[in-house]
Amino acid sequence: MGKILCATRGGEASIQTQDAAIKKAKETGDELIFIYVFDVEFLAHAKYTLRSDVVTDEMGRMADFLMAMAIDRAKQQGVNARSVIRQGDFKTELVATAKEEQVTLVILGRPAGKDSHFKIERLQDLIGKLEPETGIPFCILPDCPISSS
Amino acid sequence: MRIIRRRGVPCLIPYLALLLIVGLWLVKVFQPSAVATAARRGVAGHVLDDQGEPIVDAQLRLYINREAEPAAETHSQPDGAYLLVLPEEKTVTSVRVEAEHSHFELSVWTPDRDEITNLLEAGTFVTHDIVLERQIVASFWIATVIFIGMLLLIATERLHSTLAVLLAVVLIFGVSLLGGAIMPDLFIFTFEQALEYVDFEVIFLLLGMMIVIGVIEETGIFQWLAYQAYRLSRGRVWLLTVILMTITTIASASLDNVITMLLITPIALEIALVLGINPFSLLVPALLAANVGGTGTLIGTPVNIIIGSYTEFGFNDFLINLMPGVLLGEVGLVFFVLLWYRKDHLSGGQKLSADLIKRLEENGRIRDAAKLRKSGIVFAGLLMLFIFGEPLHLTPDIAALTGAVVMLIWVNPDIEQMMGVVDWTTLMFFIGLFIAVGAIQEVGLLAMLATGISTIVGTNLLAAVLVVVWGSALLSGVVDNIPFAAAMLPVVKLLTHTVPNAENKVLFYALSTGANLGGNSTLIGSSANLVVAGVTERAGYRITFRQFLKVGLPATIVTTAIGCLWLLVHFM
Repeated sequence: MGKILCATRGGEASIQTQDAAIKKAKETGDELIFIYVFDVEFLAHAKYTLRSDVVTDEMGRMADFLMAMAIDRAKQQGVNARSVIRQGDFKTELVATAKEEQVTLVILGRPAGKDSHFKIERLQDLIGKLEPETGIPFCILPDCPISSS
Repeated sequence: MRIIRRRGVPCLIPYLALLLIVGLWLVKVFQPSAVATAARRGVAGHVLDDQGEPIVDAQLRLYINREAEPAAETHSQPDGAYLLVLPEEKTVTSVRVEAEHSHFELSVWTPDRDEITNLLEAGTFVTHDIVLERQIVASFWIATVIFIGMLLLIATERLHSTLAVLLAVVLIFGVSLLGGAIMPDLFIFTFEQALEYVDFEVIFLLLGMMIVIGVIEETGIFQWLAYQAYRLSRGRVWLLTVILMTITTIASASLDNVITMLLITPIALEIALVLGINPFSLLVPALLAANVGGTGTLIGTPVNIIIGSYTEFGFNDFLINLMPGVLLGEVGLVFFVLLWYRKDHLSGGQKLSADLIKRLEENGRIRDAAKLRKSGIVFAGLLMLFIFGEPLHLTPDIAALTGAVVMLIWVNPDIEQMMGVVDWTTLMFFIGLFIAVGAIQEVGLLAMLATGISTIVGTNLLAAVLVVVWGSALLSGVVDNIPFAAAMLPVVKLLTHTVPNAENKVLFYALSTGANLGGNSTLIGSSANLVVAGVTERAGYRITFRQFLKVGLPATIVTTAIGCLWLLVHFM
């Protein structure tokens, strides 16, 4: 049995990604790990006192809630799922987690239209670099292989 | 007893003698010489610019009898005052006074015959105010370009705002001190003169409030309040929205809108997910209300802190003159957002598991009840100091520092940790900003701007209020409202002097209303908007500039119109 690592957040587009990852995990019988990576760079916008430790704590709680929602959805469909929450750079944390968890497939969501923070070209470039670096297959939904193991 | 007296008296003698000597010396030093006073004569007055504002550090020289060397020299004081004393021993046949300042044209004044006759009499001072004409030299253009460049760097986020401001300061000093040594027209001001523009009341008020808020932040009060709003509303989204807006209004007015929104946003987003509604239909109203609420008090926004310190408005001045307008604006805002998001508020209905609802409840718990109790007492005391300290001349900065020290001693004595809470980057931003604004004030850009606005509004106070409110609101949507307000303060001060009936300071409140409420119009208009967007984006909910503009702009028009109307009714 393999492990699927699914990078996600919590919005509408993320829910579609989660559902697709759940479907894939169900098909393959793999364990599903949701990964949520966040940073607090937006604090640079504030011109007043902001305790980064307090904000990080709150962001962690929110991430925990969002991941619990994803896990809940997976469990409802009989998929064994858990989550990993990391703070820092998305690419670095994704690679580190993929290696630590010895996953067999990494699933990324397709950027949701022109308003999305991520662009599909950038994501494809990223995958092109990460696959040889980690030796783990990456895919962007919905173009993922049927079997991950 | 007798022995003690005998021993005590001789022992005291040297001290009494010393006291007597020191006392006599002090009397001699500080008593004006009767002879000197009687014989002193000269010219006294003020050095002013063409708008009647005092000119500091103007160089004044008094020449007599057509001599090449000045008989007396001095510099004008912070209030523009000067005093040139004629030499006692010389016979005076003619007098000439020259006043000079690097950013003004040389002014020469020659007293008429009567004034010279007066001057010849011992003990007579002729009073004469000198008005200097501005001159536009290289330093004007350089300071202007540097300031605009700084605003652009901040607006485009090419540099961190503090770095942008510090870069501007370094360039200003580089041009002024190094360039000024080569070419006098490049001189802007000295380091000492620049420091006089730094408003340390603002710095200390911010410092004190940072410590106070830093302790309150970690208690979990904001999250608890948001969860209580969810409980009380019992699934009625419109009611939840109204309660959340009320909470963010009060919290922003008494603490800070950015902190309030930053800590409320994660849990409000969770609540929206539990209810199955669009998170922005809950968060945006709360955010708009927070930005409006902060406008009502001295400590609600950094803009008000700057205005309050500059004008010496107290906490109560804002409460009396702005808060009613803010509350009316909030009522208008509530109606607007309920109408705007009516479809979203009706679309809920997602059922989440009991585990998730339990998690929400946990996230809405008070984190440290003991700390909350103590910090609550200190904060209540601080509010009392703000309100009742004014008659005792307890300025807001001293009140905030007092609150901070009590917080440090009683609630969180870990001084190292609490010093880490202070946002030194922000304090450096303000120090640099004051110097950068001082530079454009020194070279005459702000005076020119004031003259331009004065020409537009003429002597019409209504027009002046409308221009300041709506002009500030418009610009605050696109440029950082803090440097904008800091730069506008001297301009508004000049308008207050030139526009009839503006002595009631209505234009300063107009600046606060426009600069604060205008921040709601765009995503980049307020720091709170950007941090909320930052949090929601990390939760997978992105709000674009255009999406925010669609709701923010009409909301700004509604609240600014109400705020403006209040000012007109209250002051005119």
